[in-house]
Amino acid sequence: MKNLFAVALGVLTAIGGFVDIGDLVTNAVVGSRFGLGLAWVVLVGVVGICIYAQMSGRVAAVSGRATFEIIRERLGPRAGLANLAASFLINLLTVTAEVGGVALALQLATSVDPGWWIPVAAFGVWIVIWRARFELLENVTGLLGLTLIVFAVALFMLSPDWGELAGQALQPGPPADEPVATYWFYAVALFGAAMTPYEVFFFSSGAIEEKWTEKDLAKSRLNVLVGFPLGGLLSIAIAGCAAVVLLPAAIDVTSLSQVVLPVAEAGGKIALSFVIVGILAATFGAALETTLSSGYTLAQYFGWSWGKFRKPAKAARFHLSMIVCLLIAVAILATGVDPILVTEYSVVFSAVALPLTYLPILIIANDREYMGDRVNGRGMNFVGQVYLVIILAAALAAIPLLIITGAGA
Amino acid sequence: MILSDLLGSDAFDADGRRLGAILDVRLEISGAPAQLLAETVVTGVLVSSHSRFSTWGYERRGEDGPFLIAWLQRWLHRGSFLVAWDDVELVDVGRVVFRAGYEQLDPMLPRAPREA
Repeated sequence: MKNLFAVALGVLTAIGGFVDIGDLVTNAVVGSRFGLGLAWVVLVGVVGICIYAQMSGRVAAVSGRATFEIIRERLGPRAGLANLAASFLINLLTVTAEVGGVALALQLATSVDPGWWIPVAAFGVWIVIWRARFELLENVTGLLGLTLIVFAVALFMLSPDWGELAGQALQPGPPADEPVATYWFYAVALFGAAMTPYEVFFFSSGAIEEKWTEKDLAKSRLNVLVGFPLGGLLSIAIAGCAAVVLLPAAIDVTSLSQVVLPVAEAGGKIALSFVIVGILAATFGAALETTLSSGYTLAQYFGWSWGKFRKPAKAARFHLSMIVCLLIAVAILATGVDPILVTEYSVVFSAVALPLTYLPILIIANDREYMGDRVNGRGMNFVGQVYLVIILAAALAAIPLLIITGAGA
Repeated sequence: MILSDLLGSDAFDADGRRLGAILDVRLEISGAPAQLLAETVVTGVLVSSHSRFSTWGYERRGEDGPFLIAWLQRWLHRGSFLVAWDDVELVDVGRVVFRAGYEQLDPMLPRAPREA
C-alpha cells in the first residue's frame, strides 16, 4: 500500500511537473495558429524526454554519482565545459522565463503589475530552496500543478468538433495561409519546450538527492513512462483549447490571459481559478527545478559539494550560485522585457543546446566502468541515436528558422 | 614540466617528419596510494595523426557504444598509435621528437579489470 502510494505520488508529480511556462506558452501559441497540426511534435518530444530522463536517472542510480561529474570525468574538462556552458546558459534563460511566469500568474490572480511580483517570485523561489525539504518542494508543486487538468476538462466542455481536431492532428503540414518556415520554426520551438534540458539535470540530480539505488529504478521508470506522456497529453489539451477558441477568432497569444481565455470561456470563474492555481504551481515548481538545476550543473562540474540533503552552510557555493542566478533572472526581467518573449526565446535556444546536453548522457550510459552490466541495451541505444539525429537536426535548424521567420512573426 | 605542456604538442620522428599531435599520456601507478593520488610514472604518449580532438574515453578496449559516436571517434583517430616514453628523444615547447627506430604500439587501453 505504501509502495502503491509512492508510485502514484511519483506519477502524479511527474504529470504536474512536466508542464512549465515554455509548454504553456508554446502550446497555446501553436494551437492558436496551427490548431493541432503540430501535436505530433509533442509526441516526438515526449518520447525523447522519456528516453533521456530515464537514461540519466539510471546513470545516477547505478553509479551513485551525478551526471555532470561523470561527463567531465569521462569526456574531459573541455568537452565538459562545452556541455556545461550550453546547459547552464539555456537554464539561466529558463529560470528567467519561469520567474517571469510566476509573476504573470500572480498578475492574473491579482491584477497587480508583474513588475511588482518579480522580486516577490524570486524571493519565494529562494526561500523555498533554502528551507524546504527536497521531497516536499517536488511533491507540493507537482500535485498542485495537476489542477492544469482543467485544460483537458475545458476542452471537453467546449464540445469541439472532434473530427476537425483529429483531422488537424492527423494531417500535419503547414496550413495554406502560413509559410512553411513558420510551421517548422514552431515545430522546433515545441520540440525544445518538450525536451527542455533542465528536466534531465533535475531528474538525475534528484536521484542522488533521494538516494536512489538500482532497486528504485523500476519505480522511477514508471514515473517517467506514465507521468511524462500524460503531461504531454496535457500540453496537447492546452493546444486543443487554443485551437477551438483562439484559432477561429484569430486571436494571437501574446500574454497569459489569452492562454487561459478558452478555459474561462468553457468553465467560468471556477475553472479560471483552477487554471491560475495550476499555472502558478507549474511555473513556481519549474522555477525551483531550473534554479536548482543551475546550482547542480555548476557544482557538479566544478566539484563543489552540493545538494539539498546538505545544510546550506555545507554546500555554500551551491546555494550562493543559485542566489546569483535568481538575481540575474530578476535583473533581466527588471529591464521590462516581456516574460512571454523570454519564454519563446528560451524554448528555441533550448533546441539549439539539446545535442550538447543529451550526447554526453548517451555516451556515459554506455560506459561499463560506471554502469557495469546496466549499460544501455541495443534497443535503447538505437532509439537514443535516432533521437540524437532528430535533436541535431532541430538544433541546426533553430537559428536559421528564427532569422528567416523573424521569430515566428 | 606539467602535463599541459606535453598535451597538444606536435610529434615528430627523428627525420623531422610530423607524425601528429600528442593527445594523451599513459600513466602507470608506481607507488602506494598517497594522500590524494598514488604516484604515477608516464609510460607512453598517444599520438593521433588526424585530429587534436579528445578521444572521449573511446581509447579503452571494449568501450564501443553507442555505435554512431564510437564509429565517428574511430574515424577521427584512425591510425593513432602509442609510443613508449623510452622512445621519446626530446621534449621541447610544443614539440616532441621520437628516437630513430621508435616503435608504434597499439593505442588501445586494455580492458579494465571487472569485479566478478
